[in-house]
Amino acid sequence: MSTAEFEDVMDLDIEGVEASTAHPAGPTEMESRDVSVWFGQRKVLEGVNIAFPKNTVTALIGPSGCGKSTFIRTLNRLHELIPGAALAGSVLYEGKDIYDAAVDPVHIRLQIGMVFQKPNPFPSMTIRGNVLSGLKLSGMKRANHDDIVEETLTAAGLWNEVKDRLGNAAGDLSGGQQQRLVIARALAVQPHVLLMDEPCSALDPASTLKIEETIRELSKEVTIIIVTHNMQQAVRVSDYTAFFLSEEGTPGHVVEQGATTEIFGNPQEQRTLDYVNGRFG
Amino acid sequence: MSTITFDPETLESLQQQKSTRPWRKKPNRFTASVTLAVVIPALIVSALYLTSDIPVPILLVVIYLPLQLIASGIAAWATKGTRGIADSVIIVNAIGASLFSVIVLVSIIGSLIVRGLRAVSPHFLFQNSVYISPSTPLDYGGIGHSLVGTLLIVFIASLISVPIGIATAVYITEVRGRAVPYVRFFVQAMSGVPSVVAGLFILTIVVATGAFNQSAFAGGLAYAILMLPTVARTAEEVLKLVPDDLRTGALALGSTRARTVLRVVIPAARTGIITAIILGVARVIGETAPLLLAAGNNDQTVVNPFGSPISSVPTYIFNNVALPYPDAVARAWGSALVLIILVAILFTLARIIGRGRVGR
Ligand SMILES: Nc1ncnc2c1ncn2[C@@H]1O[C@H](COP(=O)(O)OP(=O)(O)OP(=O)(O)O)[C@@H](O)[C@H]1O
Ligand SMILES: [Mg+2]
Repeated sequence: MSTAEFEDVMDLDIEGVEASTAHPAGPTEMESRDVSVWFGQRKVLEGVNIAFPKNTVTALIGPSGCGKSTFIRTLNRLHELIPGAALAGSVLYEGKDIYDAAVDPVHIRLQIGMVFQKPNPFPSMTIRGNVLSGLKLSGMKRANHDDIVEETLTAAGLWNEVKDRLGNAAGDLSGGQQQRLVIARALAVQPHVLLMDEPCSALDPASTLKIEETIRELSKEVTIIIVTHNMQQAVRVSDYTAFFLSEEGTPGHVVEQGATTEIFGNPQEQRTLDYVNGRFG
Repeated sequence: MSTITFDPETLESLQQQKSTRPWRKKPNRFTASVTLAVVIPALIVSALYLTSDIPVPILLVVIYLPLQLIASGIAAWATKGTRGIADSVIIVNAIGASLFSVIVLVSIIGSLIVRGLRAVSPHFLFQNSVYISPSTPLDYGGIGHSLVGTLLIVFIASLISVPIGIATAVYITEVRGRAVPYVRFFVQAMSGVPSVVAGLFILTIVVATGAFNQSAFAGGLAYAILMLPTVARTAEEVLKLVPDDLRTGALALGSTRARTVLRVVIPAARTGIITAIILGVARVIGETAPLLLAAGNNDQTVVNPFGSPISSVPTYIFNNVALPYPDAVARAWGSALVLIILVAILFTLARIIGRGRVGR
């Protein structure tokens, strides 16, 4: 990418933005129905209804602490690992409730991958070992490990930096490199849905753009849900946007959702307009 | 347009930048005098200890402590005035305390060397004590059979207690089942079991019932009882230090709980778990009473863990140290020296194994 192109993307004017062309809304792959969430007695999310069409990118935006991470973790059943956590409503994946008693969470998490806010490579493994760790941990069989390593690291924009030291400890990488490593790790198991919780918050602009390119590329085959504080990023990568807000100690909820062009170009709510223009949050 | 010119000296110094460590403190007068104030009283007391018969506790409390306080007070006052006294108290305590533990360690090893070194020789390490009586000169016989015994017994004890200990820790930190408080309580209670009781227990239920002879296996069982709580509690602490991010990360990749523990959590805590094993071994390796009861004694080298009574270094020391023959006593001290060196070797090995950070 040339510098000029680079600046073009970074200087996007939000008000009159031409967002990435929305995919035609296909069949719904995931859907949250009336999801409310508690930590102990404290309700942090209320009545979240969002549908995620297959092979699209949905951005979740909203001020810090409004429950975006909490919500995204209910989508692959990580929320339940926290002691005292509770949940109401249902989350449908391919039409079935993932919280159904008959559903194995391990199976769900294998198909619904996740990249976390903080990079968490496995310190006991090499760089290569980390990329392939999902295959080992889930018992998934895929041939040609060398190709998988190269493909996923390239998609995560890390290949050139580490191709000569794949056997080194993952802990020796810089924070941003670690984050790209865990993105590669998540891609290696070929999830159907990819949850990304602020995947670029630790990255430099060039790596960020590389990841965004990857997201666009992946969205041909994968449904992506991404939390971001970066408005330009939401505009650049997402087809749909949901705006979360938690007002004065009330549980977080979705204020407005829809096509990204609508949310950023022509929001119906004053609060959305204020937020996407950086007037609060 | 003007060009910047450097005189040759500056240019050279710019070109040859040396690597320095500016954060290293340079010794100054303050540190020097405080150090002197620590060393002088220690030297005086050491001299007194070597030349007089004053008992060590009295020496330390009545002579060393006041001497030390006065010396450090003078040193601080001399360099920084009254302001420096607080500083000096802290520094003196730190250096003094470390010095004290070093002195204790050195004097233990010193006394072992003084009394036992003359017994140590290659054949002392490799021969057994068949045909050796307490009055046999040091030219013959050794503790090879006891070393083999100790290693065998500790190995058996580790084989039993390390998996159980780690499993217990995993139950407490990873499974977090309902019985956690009870398990914790029992582990804690177990760590209070006196070693002689562990020996008696094994003697009663394993040896006296005729299930097994006094043997390496029975001794290993007794040792395992003592090792288990140390391994379990240390491993628990270590597993707790593994960040939850790693567990969640593994689970998010479609890992089962079991695989997460085996492939991510335990490997991430590997160094710490090795430390847990070291501490367990250190806890038992010198225990004498359980082996007197459960393992017995033997002059021959025994390698069958089940067959017959077996010697070990601690029981060998116990049997020889109080005999009225100087050579037997020297053998006992020599064995103690070997035991300490053995522990040091085991620890170093474990550290080296633990250091390789990335493994498969
Ligand atoms: N493990 C937890 N236990 C109790 N409360 C929690 C826990 N995790 C999050 N919360 C609370 O839930 C609310 C939502 O947190 P969450 O992490 O989802 O916010 P967020 O929208 O992701 O914020 P940010 O943009 O800063 O990441 C916060 O008020 C937080 O204090
Ligand atoms: Mg968050």
